[in-house]
Amino acid sequence: MKSNFYISLIFLIATNSFSQNINWRSLKNEQKHIISLNIGLLYGTTIDLGYGHKLNTKLPMILNAEFSTSFGDTALDDFKTKIGAQAEVLKIGGFSTTLKAYGVFRRFENDNAQLLNFGSELSAVSGYYKSKWYVAGEFGFDKAIVTHIKHSDVLKNYYPGIKSGWYIPTAGNFFYGVQSGFSLGRNDLNLRAGTMATQDFKSTPTLPFYFQIGINRKI
Amino acid sequence: MKLKPFLLKVTFLLLVTSQFSCTEIDSNEPGALVPKTVDQDATLPSISVNGTMLHSETFGNPSNSMVVFLHGGPGADYRSGLNVKQLADNGYFVVFYDQRGAGLSKRHDKNSYSLQLILDDLNAVIEHYKTAPNQKVFLFGHSWGGMLATAFINKNPNKITGAILAEAGGLKWGETKEYLEKTKKIELFSEATNDVLYLDQFLTGTKKQHEVLDYKSAIQSSFSYAGGNVEGIEASSPFWRYGAVSLISLTEVAEKDNFDFTTNLNQFQKKVLILFSENNKAFGSSYAQKQANYFPVHQIIRIDDTGHEMIYFKWNSVYPKVLTYLNSL
Repeated sequence: MKSNFYISLIFLIATNSFSQNINWRSLKNEQKHIISLNIGLLYGTTIDLGYGHKLNTKLPMILNAEFSTSFGDTALDDFKTKIGAQAEVLKIGGFSTTLKAYGVFRRFENDNAQLLNFGSELSAVSGYYKSKWYVAGEFGFDKAIVTHIKHSDVLKNYYPGIKSGWYIPTAGNFFYGVQSGFSLGRNDLNLRAGTMATQDFKSTPTLPFYFQIGINRKI
Repeated sequence: MKLKPFLLKVTFLLLVTSQFSCTEIDSNEPGALVPKTVDQDATLPSISVNGTMLHSETFGNPSNSMVVFLHGGPGADYRSGLNVKQLADNGYFVVFYDQRGAGLSKRHDKNSYSLQLILDDLNAVIEHYKTAPNQKVFLFGHSWGGMLATAFINKNPNKITGAILAEAGGLKWGETKEYLEKTKKIELFSEATNDVLYLDQFLTGTKKQHEVLDYKSAIQSSFSYAGGNVEGIEASSPFWRYGAVSLISLTEVAEKDNFDFTTNLNQFQKKVLILFSENNKAFGSSYAQKQANYFPVHQIIRIDDTGHEMIYFKWNSVYPKVLTYLNSL
């Protein structure tokens, strides 16, 4: 069972895993690597593993790679990968603003279709940061730019004229909410919650909110 | 190798290969993701009534007693109910139509729907096909179609000769809401639930992007027959197109109107046949009895070894019960 696998995975690595919501004030100069684990509700019940590498640049910057997948009976039929970077672009006293930009590749499959998507995710996080805690607001846009749709034999049987191929445009969702975290030595505990709206702001995804809890380990 | 010619060659190669390997399809293109509707494809059988175009077919002699099949949804279509055309061999005139905005019928804007409009469509379909004032008219409604049949009888008790209700979701909004809560239960760690939710990051559409929304509904239809589903549905059953906007709009209208289709049913003195399936855990004999009690004269029959889609998967069991009932009236 896929869910049993993930639950086991969480317990196995919980003590050594972390989250990719960064508290720049708790990140020490010698700490170059950040490993993260998030679990929560984001387009379904998902688990997210991430890695961040801090660059030696004047502008505080971290390169990120993340992998997330949804729970269910079929392992890895639905997943999302992100590669990108985040940078602290503004710092005034305890206040800080971070911009994040990611390229996204994601996959979906069920009895009726298989979808492969290339997209992007852009977001801004702004808030008050201390070395032991932070609270911030976030606003972002998740765009599915182009999607390859391969229809199942079932759908092709029902409608022989259906076209498999690259479809454009396909989706876009805004998300906005709050995040907060607490730092304990090399570990950070993070919470993230908010609401979502489709790109025309007139409807919402079926799950119109998100909630994630996660931990970071800084090395 | 000189850099400039090399870059030119690479660019040219990329341009050529991109033309062959990645032809993009507009997700709003009619016919790409879901079949064209009657207003887009003149070869489809249709009727123009009550200010719309409905996909419609009939079987049997038009002067025989009429059986109007009402499909489920809202927003689904009559394709999985086509077994009912067998009644034409038994002397009935069987009428199928995809309801407004559903199946292959013409789409309409989300704000244009009302329960009264859908009832007016049904009345217009009956009048369109009726060949004599005294022609008997039976309604055969499955799921939402059963609710629609009841609503019509509640308003027009003298127009209908009899009705077969196959697991109508609820005859009052409160009952429908309870039924939906049982059947559309969100289980956070299940494959079926997460497949519905996860798709929202791949496909979104405004209320005017019907093709995308319809296709999304088609993909998500696997939720209804996922393993262990409460309604005991065996597998996928054929459909042409899920009318997503029709479903969204009529669900919102139903909730807003807080409908009650039972207020006048005591005026309907004809026998009503209530069918329910053995494997639908959300329905059952007590719920069937509750619905039957709204009708002064009724008969309840359980269809064994099947679920909510009994008309498609167990027609051989449904057919003799329906035929006996129709012949009795």
